[in-house]
Amino acid sequence: MPTELRLDPAPSTDPPKPEAPALEVEHLTVSYGPKPALLDVTLSVRHGQLVGIIGPNGAGKSTFIKAVLGFVPSDFGSVRVLGTPAREAKGKVAYVPQRGSVDWDFPISVREVVMMGRYGRIPFWRDPGPEDREAVSYALETVRMSEFADRQIGQLSGGQQQRVFMARALAQAGQILLLDEPFAGVDAATERALLDVLRRAKQDGRTLLVVHHDLVSAGEYFDELILLKQRLVAYGPPEHVLREDLLTEVYEGKLKAFSVLRARDAAGYEG
Amino acid sequence: MNELLRFFAAPFEFPWFGKAVLAGSLVAIVCSVVGCLVILRRMAFLGDALSHAMIAGVGAGYLFMKVVFGYKAHALGMLLGALISAVLTVLLINFVSRSSRIKQDASIGIMYCFIFAAGLVLVTRFQDLIHIHVQHFLVGDVLSVADEDLKLTSYVAALVLSMVLVFFRHFQITSFDPIMAASLGFPVGLLDYAFTLCVSLVVVSAISMVGVILVVGLLITPAATAYLLTDRLQRMMGLAALFGVTSVVGGLYLGVALNSSGGGAIMVFCSLQFLAVLVAAPRYGLLGGWLRRRRMIPQDLMEDILRAVLKGGGEVKSAQVGAQLPHPGASVSRALAIMAGDGLLRENQGAYALTEQGLDHAKRVMRAHRLWETYLQRVGTPASELDARAHTLEHIYEEEAMDYLDHKLGHPLTDPHGSEIPADFVHLESGLPVMLSLLRRGQQARVVALRRPAEDAGLKPGDRLVMTGRQGDGKVWGVRRQDGQELKLDHAAADAVLVEVVREEPRPPQA
Repeated sequence: MPTELRLDPAPSTDPPKPEAPALEVEHLTVSYGPKPALLDVTLSVRHGQLVGIIGPNGAGKSTFIKAVLGFVPSDFGSVRVLGTPAREAKGKVAYVPQRGSVDWDFPISVREVVMMGRYGRIPFWRDPGPEDREAVSYALETVRMSEFADRQIGQLSGGQQQRVFMARALAQAGQILLLDEPFAGVDAATERALLDVLRRAKQDGRTLLVVHHDLVSAGEYFDELILLKQRLVAYGPPEHVLREDLLTEVYEGKLKAFSVLRARDAAGYEG
Repeated sequence: MNELLRFFAAPFEFPWFGKAVLAGSLVAIVCSVVGCLVILRRMAFLGDALSHAMIAGVGAGYLFMKVVFGYKAHALGMLLGALISAVLTVLLINFVSRSSRIKQDASIGIMYCFIFAAGLVLVTRFQDLIHIHVQHFLVGDVLSVADEDLKLTSYVAALVLSMVLVFFRHFQITSFDPIMAASLGFPVGLLDYAFTLCVSLVVVSAISMVGVILVVGLLITPAATAYLLTDRLQRMMGLAALFGVTSVVGGLYLGVALNSSGGGAIMVFCSLQFLAVLVAAPRYGLLGGWLRRRRMIPQDLMEDILRAVLKGGGEVKSAQVGAQLPHPGASVSRALAIMAGDGLLRENQGAYALTEQGLDHAKRVMRAHRLWETYLQRVGTPASELDARAHTLEHIYEEEAMDYLDHKLGHPLTDPHGSEIPADFVHLESGLPVMLSLLRRGQQARVVALRRPAEDAGLKPGDRLVMTGRQGDGKVWGVRRQDGQELKLDHAAADAVLVEVVREEPRPPQA
């Protein structure tokens, strides 16, 4: 009954460059106006890690993601993706947006959205070729959305929509996947299924950076955590980051919410 | 019949009518195609602004060509002037909205009025040199299209349409997900300006026909009409072009019939066409939505019926269903017919059976009902009230709520009346790994992963096991390992083992 999920059929995936770390951030400082959004963040993420990015609202998580995508000009410091500066590493980083930021009424089908993952490698005078279509079908299969391929994206449930954007990132075959709150607003079963896709992507050698807000499951889902509050408060394995003292410092009074959160039963297995 | 034919043929005796149809259709096609993207990018207001701002450019272009070269009403000069004023307007708008706290819509309002007003001042101050009637500029005149206008319009149409065709994917992705587009290396800013330029070109070419005030209508109304009918951008553009042409042709006839302004008649026809589609569109129309709502039956009634049919087993007559409902008196036969139409039930000579979809839904409700009953009993609800209260609660059957309830109740096997609670088929049949605690007797599985506190339960990833049943009042999970070893796990340990179900076997009835 359980079908075997291979992840990477994409023949066009570039081989990873093991010599350079997946992501190197040095003294990154970004500010919009007078208040810094990120202050002197330095870290280096190895290949094949599933990394969670946590921190309170306004801690600079989105800014960090934008910096990795090469969008925000940094006041100071540098971001290097696979050894090249972020601004020049276009297409190597696949981005899964927050659900709230998508126009769900856009006249576009599931398949077309996933095909966008291939746009970076299709020259403008050419139509998508057979290998692009195959990569799209494969990505849809991986997230179990093949039967919905011809639906308009607004006609899906929240979890299905999330999986479509995951498929797009897979079709892009980027070595680094950036996901902005992928688990927000999906049910427990979908969360499990999404996590499964993430883990398989990781086993495939990709590096995943996931903005996440649930501290309890953060400890169970990710290999490493980045705890941000403008500065890099902590980076490392969950047991080193999810420490009472650090969390109290970062979340201030809101930590009460953390202590009463019930542990999710749905995840946290080590295979 | 002959009269009708004459009505349609007669206007073509005037040369201006044929020319108006041709020029109007060209403009309408290109307007509508570009308009699709204008709508999706929520730029309708900007389109309006650009059209107004152009009077300054047209006036300035006129003046420049007249004063410097002595040309009168030089079309290309006015076009270029209009483009320059459009670009200037966009730059000013972006400058204000980016450099201050004034938001985009307000800065559009400020800047287009500024440029428009400057244009008015310019045209009226030099009215001895500039022979533009402001009136003409505002409402246009489709019936007096000059050959030169027609030529220019054709060039503009060809240029803009090829832009949209060649860079279709570029415009699609930057409209849908600019962040993604930028991360792939698309020049998002440049494409935005290219698109704004397209809009400006289109608007300039349309102004001479329908005027400043109506041009935004021609830009967005046919596109909006198409948007109500399709879920694909390519088809939307095709349909919009079609609606644009019908608007122009229909509007021109309307104008002739009523002896009114051509531009006005075009927009009236176009808007009526939109309203007709708004009412009648199958999926996104008002009529369709109203009919769908009328066809809807209360969720509770539908679920009660599903459960009644499930309990009846096989085919059930309408009267039997009615007798089983907790709240008799509802219009059961109508509900049954609608549910059959929706694919939940199959009708066979007055008797109803569940379809696969209906069965799935019914099982969910049944499971919820029995879990709720178990819960109600645990919290001390009197036995006489169990069923009635569970009937109310069973309509809450969201997966997450049921998972939680099932877990908190310790995955019970039977409800207070001794009926079996259906297995958690949602997860068991998903093909994804599940917790061992969800397995039912006789199911075989392969261990995928373990976590605390199951490390010393005697299992490791890759082990095959058979669920032998629950013991100790359901609190102990008994499994047999592939080597025949019997193991016992408590609830916490059973939750901590992740397994893949190997094969769904018909389960022997539970004792």
